[in-house]
Amino acid sequence: MSPLMFSTLLLALGLGSTVTFSSSHWLLAWMGLEINSLAMVPLMARPHFPRAVEAATKYFLAQATAAAMILFAGMTNAWMTGQWTIEMMTHPLPLTLVTLALGLKIGLAPVHAWLPEVLQGVDLTTGLILSTWQKLAPLALLLQLPHGNSPLLIILALSSTLIGGWAGLNQTQLRKILAYSSIAHLGWMMVILQYAPSLTLLALLTYIVMTSSIFLLFKLNNTTNINALATSHTKIPVLTLFAPFILLSLGGLPPLTGFMPKWLILHELTMQGMGTLATITALTALLSLYFYLRLSYSMSLTMSPNNLLTSPLWRLRPHQPTLPLAISATSATMLLPLTPAAFLVR
Amino acid sequence: MTPTHFAFSSAFILGLTGLAFHRSHLLSALICLEAMMVSLFIALSLWTMQLNSTNFSASPLLLLAFSACEASMGLPSLVATARTHGSDQIRNLNLLQC
Amino acid sequence: MLKVLIPTLMLAPTIWLSKPKWLWPTTLAHSFLIALISLTWLQNLSESSWASLSPIMATDSISTPLLVLSCWLLPLMILASQNHMAKDPSNFQRAYISLLTSLQFFLILAFGATELIMFYVMFEATLIPTLIIITRWGNQAERLNAGTYFLFYTLAGSLPLLIALLSLQGWTGTMSLLTLPFSDLAPLTPYTSMLWWAACLLAFLVKMPLYGVHLWLPKAHVEAPVAGSMVLAAVLLKLGGYGMMRIMIMLEPLTKQLCYPFIILAMWGIIMTGSICLRQTDLKSLIAYSSVSHMGLVAGGILIQTPWGFTGALILMIAHGLTSSALFCLANTNYERTHSRTMVLARGLQVILPLMAAWWFIASLANLALPPLPNLMGELTIITSLFNWSWWTLILTGAGTLITAGYSLSMFLTTQRGPLPPHILALEPSHTREHLLIALHLLPLLLLILKPELIWGWTA
Repeated sequence: MSPLMFSTLLLALGLGSTVTFSSSHWLLAWMGLEINSLAMVPLMARPHFPRAVEAATKYFLAQATAAAMILFAGMTNAWMTGQWTIEMMTHPLPLTLVTLALGLKIGLAPVHAWLPEVLQGVDLTTGLILSTWQKLAPLALLLQLPHGNSPLLIILALSSTLIGGWAGLNQTQLRKILAYSSIAHLGWMMVILQYAPSLTLLALLTYIVMTSSIFLLFKLNNTTNINALATSHTKIPVLTLFAPFILLSLGGLPPLTGFMPKWLILHELTMQGMGTLATITALTALLSLYFYLRLSYSMSLTMSPNNLLTSPLWRLRPHQPTLPLAISATSATMLLPLTPAAFLVR
Repeated sequence: MTPTHFAFSSAFILGLTGLAFHRSHLLSALICLEAMMVSLFIALSLWTMQLNSTNFSASPLLLLAFSACEASMGLPSLVATARTHGSDQIRNLNLLQC
Repeated sequence: MLKVLIPTLMLAPTIWLSKPKWLWPTTLAHSFLIALISLTWLQNLSESSWASLSPIMATDSISTPLLVLSCWLLPLMILASQNHMAKDPSNFQRAYISLLTSLQFFLILAFGATELIMFYVMFEATLIPTLIIITRWGNQAERLNAGTYFLFYTLAGSLPLLIALLSLQGWTGTMSLLTLPFSDLAPLTPYTSMLWWAACLLAFLVKMPLYGVHLWLPKAHVEAPVAGSMVLAAVLLKLGGYGMMRIMIMLEPLTKQLCYPFIILAMWGIIMTGSICLRQTDLKSLIAYSSVSHMGLVAGGILIQTPWGFTGALILMIAHGLTSSALFCLANTNYERTHSRTMVLARGLQVILPLMAAWWFIASLANLALPPLPNLMGELTIITSLFNWSWWTLILTGAGTLITAGYSLSMFLTTQRGPLPPHILALEPSHTREHLLIALHLLPLLLLILKPELIWGWTA
């Protein structure tokens, strides 16, 4: 792919999301989403492997369907209430429809099945874009919707945390594991969406920080399955010692950054008098913690020479820029003392 | 619910049902997507007509342009899939399932 | 607090900047200085028993002994790990000591916290260093399994605790340990309040561990390296007891009815784990099960909620912390020589390591609670208060004491007395380092006989 084409696509990727962020009209929001996903498909199919092409096709089908459903919901709302504004989507039928469609776009649990397969087919950089930047525009729309007190979001959230934890348990492919972790984290964002939208944003922010550090780590390491992780000690020893902290931070163990959104979300849910929901959500996080723990076992907690399952790779000094990884890894582990107190004192 | 509303809604839902349940050829999936977009186009044009104002008159064309872009992204992926997977059967897209 | 916390943080530059040759001596000296400074906490002159108050941290008479114990343990862990870490690359040694140091840091913050949420966060924060110590530096492949058990038992117990604490904050508006005993709880429905009670206690009972949810403990102890076993037995289990003592005050009217099954489990656990110890062949597993049995007594003492029960529990926690840590060190000296934890393979060691046999003797006697030692003081206080609560407990506690004496003596006899098997004739002699290590465990225990009011808690 020529650099001109590549930069155009990246620009369109940014443009699409920005259009969606700044729109208040469903048609414009839909256009932004379309620009965004249409720019993403060639980026995914860039290496002409069967896997990449397949991933691009699946991504295209899911995103086009979701976008059409979003526009359909906007249209239905306009025909029923005469309003095109995003914040005025008051009729329950189009509201439900658009929530489900946006769930399909970001990969929430009952409609999540495309996400692991698509992520498995693309390389780690595109995967990073897919699991961070591509979530922003649909989440911005979800944040603007006037959710009343809908059980739909709770159902989506609980099934996401549950399925994201459960289905990740028997995966050996790192990108699929990261996809399921993304589904589980999205569930945590959804569970609080109708009560404290700013907490959704905080959870999204910490998720982006943590997941980009883990994607960059795997990219530096050039690994895509669990077995190959065991050789990382010979390549990047310091980061290998550091990796369990990033992984357990994704799992949400204190005193790492990942505990902050979980703590605040549980706090808010308890304050709203939903202790049972909070307990169930907290316990489903244990499922995903199990595969993070397994990743950290195979990456750094077992002695590297002991592992006979993998042959050591040829060792070259990695020539990738490590500054982004350093920044994101540090903030993925050490941000808990910076917890915004405004969420706790009410 | 007006008859027009019912008509385009059922057209859209038929297209969506076809996309979701008739999983044989990738081409048929793309045609279903196109059907959904066309029903949306009709709905938007009718909305403009009903409003009797020129404010909205550009929007059906915008929608049509975008759906054409979408189709032009769908057909190359159909070609690419046919070249890498040998046919355009959707059940051949199973490399990533593991 | 800062005069201990900041030197603890400053251990990090000491660890990472000193030369590999001087790594162990400098860190040992530094941490020992910290332990000596921490002894000043014991001089508590305050009327309300709260001292060294700062906005987020303070010491009082039940946290002080545990704080001093956790500071005292760090130099001992460093001393104990020197031999088996000697073959690691120096960066791994540094990472290992850093983990031990971070553990001490989190423990000080946990015991010193005046806020329940701060306590909870630090209670959980101790999991990660312990997990890494167990799974990275353990010996067998089963260590990964042990680490998983450790993490998931504790987390599954403590996530409901987080929800319970957050709802407590919602009802009372405060989490401060200084004011919570004086605030009223909102009226709850009976069902909710029972669930809330259980959620508050379950985390600590799992950490303690109560019989029935104790399965993670023997695994973790057996697989952990010596420092991991030491800190687990000496301090981390006591986090559970400490948390129970703190939260019991808030649970007041409910506990009278709801504590029966837990007291029964604790008492029954003393007998059961004691019996398991009697037929145990694995030395470290035996010591681990003996910890479960002793902590069952502590749990019983706390659950009946009398001043004597609390005092006895605190005394027994401190005494058991020192004793079981010493026993794990002794087991490790055997392990480093014979490379096996099986007791039958290392019998009659008195002939080869006579001074070690003396240490084994004192430690075993401390474990079975010989009269002047604080162990007896704790056990006797708890047994008396349990007896006052119900006469029938005497059957269980009495039998428990008998069984404890039985397995402690059988452990001593199996490892030290009898004929020497021919395959271990060429053992390495014991080092001064090991004698110093055991002496530093047992000296405080013996000195506490002279001034037991240091660990009497609120009674003193």
